[in-house]
Amino acid sequence: MSSTSPLWLILLVTGFTVGFGHCIGMCGPIVVSLSLNLKGERVFLSQLLYNGGRVTTYTILGGLMGLTGSFTIVASNIASLQKIVIIFAGIIIIILAFSMIGWIPLGRIFSDDYNPKGIVARGFKRLSGHRSPFAYYPLGLLLGLLPCGPVYTALIASAAAGTQSTHPVQGVLNGAALMLLFGIGTVPALLIVGKLAGLGWLKSRKIIYQIGAVLMVLVGIYFIIKGLRY
Amino acid sequence: MISVCNAQILRALGRNILCVRVNLERFILVFIFLFVIWAPTIAAETQGRTGVNCDINHSSCTRYLSSCKVTLDIEPKPVKAMKDLTFTVRLTGEKPSSAPYIDLGMPGMNMGPNRVRLKVTGEGLYQGIGVIVKCPSGRRTWRATVTVPDLGTTEFIFDVIY
Repeated sequence: MSSTSPLWLILLVTGFTVGFGHCIGMCGPIVVSLSLNLKGERVFLSQLLYNGGRVTTYTILGGLMGLTGSFTIVASNIASLQKIVIIFAGIIIIILAFSMIGWIPLGRIFSDDYNPKGIVARGFKRLSGHRSPFAYYPLGLLLGLLPCGPVYTALIASAAAGTQSTHPVQGVLNGAALMLLFGIGTVPALLIVGKLAGLGWLKSRKIIYQIGAVLMVLVGIYFIIKGLRY
Repeated sequence: MISVCNAQILRALGRNILCVRVNLERFILVFIFLFVIWAPTIAAETQGRTGVNCDINHSSCTRYLSSCKVTLDIEPKPVKAMKDLTFTVRLTGEKPSSAPYIDLGMPGMNMGPNRVRLKVTGEGLYQGIGVIVKCPSGRRTWRATVTVPDLGTTEFIFDVIY
């Protein structure tokens, strides 16, 4: 473990610095979309859960890298899934945009008047509830798979830590710990962006939501095109 | 009475004008905010192939330090991202105190530390395995900074295949 200690600090700092540059460029539109959709309610908790999901995925991927000791083996296996995730992110952003301006009545469908039967339907209602912040954790888990250059680089470091480990378990722990720290480093930037985009600091937001919805649709289309070309 | 009504109308008009102005300001604020968010991505995608000094997909590349010739080669060719690549550095001239190493990065974008450690495989010959990652922005221009301990650093900028 001690051999990777300096690397832990490097990845934490790297996560922090790329968070304010690269991550805002890639995940910023998603974070802004999520915050706008919340309309100023429970923005911080939702963003925290979204980031928690994202960091959990990074940690699991780091563990896999540490176990296999090979970045390319794991990366090639998740490549096709990542393409789908980019497209899914675009669709989610567009749905959130339409929901925000009331074109898709997610709030009505999943309101208190609607009482679905069955565990899955009830669970989906709970997660999809317009004001439920808990939906953001599984969303973060999934969107943590979005392809990102600095994440790949951190995963390479995790794989390298795996090759230097004497036992597979140690490899998993080292890889996971490195990605956990990298992920934690990226959180502050995205939390700040999400909090600012929550617009809780504004009194009149109707026009902004309408303009925001148009921008979100454009961002969603951009993601879908990018996913198709990836 | 008329003057009171006029005053009320004027006040209402004033409020509306103020309201429109405030909303416009907020719109501009949000637009700028979103633009700032997208600026790195837009900049990354519009940036050209400026600075490319190496055709690594077809041959090795050579750069000169003050007292040393540094030749970089990457195999297999064409050089593809997300694949295990063998990096070879050949040094001619003054010998370094220890093995050189390569830092991979993208010009104008922080991709995090990605160092390829090289091991000596012959006289002035060093090799190591590394990966050039795929940038979702679509940019293909990468930079390999070769550091030769005590002698200096040199940069090879080249395009890779996605």
